[in-house]
Amino acid sequence: MISKLIATIKKETLLLLRDKVGLSILFLMPMILIFVMTLIQDAAFKTINEKGIPIIFVNNDKDSLGILIEQGLRNNDLCSFHDSIDGKPATAESAHKAVSEGKFLVGIVIPKGATNAIRKNVTELVDETMNTDSLVLNSNSTTDSVEITLMIDPVAKKSFLISVTSNLHEFISEVKTKIMFQTFSDQIAEVIPGKPATPKSAYQKTQIIKYKEIYASGSKEKIVPNAVQHNVPAWTIFAMFFIAIPLSSSIMKEKNEGSVFRLHTMPTPYLLLVNGKIVVYVIVCLIQFLLMLSVGLVFLPMLGLPKLVLGSSFAGIFILTLATSFAATGYGVMVGTLATTEHQAAIMGSLSILLLSALGGIWVPSYVMPEVMRNISTWSPLNWSLSGFYKLFLRGAGIADVLGDSLKLIAFFIGTMAIAYIANREKRTI
Amino acid sequence: MTNSAIIEIDNLQKTFKNASEPAVDGISFSIYRNEIFGLLGPNGAGKTTTISILCGLFPPTGGTVKIDGKDLQQNLASIKKIVGIVPQDIALYPTLTARENLDFYGHMYGLSGSDLKDRIETWLKRLGLSEAANRQVSTYSGGMKRRVNLIAGILHSPKILFLDEPTVGVDVQSRNVIIDHLKKINEAGTTIIYTSHHMEEAENFCNRVSIIDHGRILIQGTPAELIESTAGADNLEKVFLQLTKRKLRD
Repeated sequence: MISKLIATIKKETLLLLRDKVGLSILFLMPMILIFVMTLIQDAAFKTINEKGIPIIFVNNDKDSLGILIEQGLRNNDLCSFHDSIDGKPATAESAHKAVSEGKFLVGIVIPKGATNAIRKNVTELVDETMNTDSLVLNSNSTTDSVEITLMIDPVAKKSFLISVTSNLHEFISEVKTKIMFQTFSDQIAEVIPGKPATPKSAYQKTQIIKYKEIYASGSKEKIVPNAVQHNVPAWTIFAMFFIAIPLSSSIMKEKNEGSVFRLHTMPTPYLLLVNGKIVVYVIVCLIQFLLMLSVGLVFLPMLGLPKLVLGSSFAGIFILTLATSFAATGYGVMVGTLATTEHQAAIMGSLSILLLSALGGIWVPSYVMPEVMRNISTWSPLNWSLSGFYKLFLRGAGIADVLGDSLKLIAFFIGTMAIAYIANREKRTI
Repeated sequence: MTNSAIIEIDNLQKTFKNASEPAVDGISFSIYRNEIFGLLGPNGAGKTTTISILCGLFPPTGGTVKIDGKDLQQNLASIKKIVGIVPQDIALYPTLTARENLDFYGHMYGLSGSDLKDRIETWLKRLGLSEAANRQVSTYSGGMKRRVNLIAGILHSPKILFLDEPTVGVDVQSRNVIIDHLKKINEAGTTIIYTSHHMEEAENFCNRVSIIDHGRILIQGTPAELIESTAGADNLEKVFLQLTKRKLRD
């Protein structure tokens, strides 16, 4: 039996090695895929980080509020500040037109007299507080409102804009508070005789709440989520499952070339013949994994991208990779057995993997999916694998944490093999 | 030729799923040890279905088959070891060499080591393929592929050899080589069950023939007996046409 298994493995290996196009699909394409996807995603973030968000700023105020916001935006790395369009100072109208044409992502218009309106409101508030016995404010006094216009490119993604506009809101609000604080201080100094003016730096003392953002990883290594940490495992799993296409194609070829007919008349069980394929393709998956890790560890850093951090559990990585390889191979055997033509196997294999990968969170993270899709996502083997690799690569988890995911993948392999076995038996009971 | 049956077929039936008519409709016959038995019939007559059942490829719907005294369905694994098949289609891996193909199929029949190696070399030499043995099969001519296809079915020296149109599409030279070696294999003790559309070849090659159509046996006997019993026939082809009519088959 061992001799037969070795002969099957040898045959599969030779068939694979002689198929140069198939080999390039198996090894080169996934590596290129990781390169391209990681570079694109990293570039998207870099464009924002390095060049900044293109902002057109119209300062009609020309006073503290407008000046402080302008200074803040000019000094902010996130922003690419502009106050003129085609060499002419921007106006509310020209800014609106430029944003609508996509020349700028965001436009900000500070209205005329905005600072005066803030000052006036604060002065009135102080006056009322100091000149009356009661703390109840005069309900007849009028309050000037300040309307800052934020124009947004309609093509920009909503989630991205929410993040940008929230930051702008926060920044403008801080500037407004600062002006109000200063005006309050000045007014109080005026109404209380002998009290010196509050120093400009006094506002800093009001900043008593600070934020410290850390990534809650269990690893001793500093694991920072980035395009490499997310893309390398995701596209590696995708490529490993894509092995289903050459594998199912190999099964279909055997059917078409008549080898299966001969093999079924031989004293060799079906499972032994399939086991030869499984051994070879699992090894291919493991090699694929190593090559794609090398992209994250060696080649992407050469291009200035962050180096992939593997976490601390190599045993966990091995177990999970092996389980993923078995699941992908089993899936390929199932597709190849169920399909009746090579064309059908290719379409069934590629479309189902695209579907499983989309559901599994390879294309977009499953946490941004609607609840129904999120629930369906938990049934995708690619999701189990991805979840395991994220635990290892991003959360610094150990082998025990990925055993559940690995067992699910092995169960999936057993399930696909059972389906393939039954389908093969049924097809022969014609 | 000894006179004991190596294959006994009794009321064999096969109706495929969703088919309105049976492919094999209750045929019964015996094939004797060491004979060359021809199973002849037009396309769709039931020849390949009968051979596929005898090879254990799929089970019959009814009837029994005994091979070498054992019930086929109950002893499939052991019977497969003594049976060889040369299918009509070239059942080889085109990107493997002839030697690699034969090595793989030899292992699948349970052969290994120097025994397998010697058998491969012997047959490659006998069928004039030694020089081309390390070339991929995809580069071979039709006749060369047929010869490798034949070796893959006889490498394990089977007691029973099924030949499904072994010489279809080959030149006269290759056909003669194949037929000569099949005769030698038969002389060495292998029973041969042979199907073909080539009536002249069947007439010269087979000890007995059975002409089947619509899944039923129309006539059976030695080629000479069939010619003699058919009025106006002086060869097997005329017997065949008289029995199966001239209507085209799908």
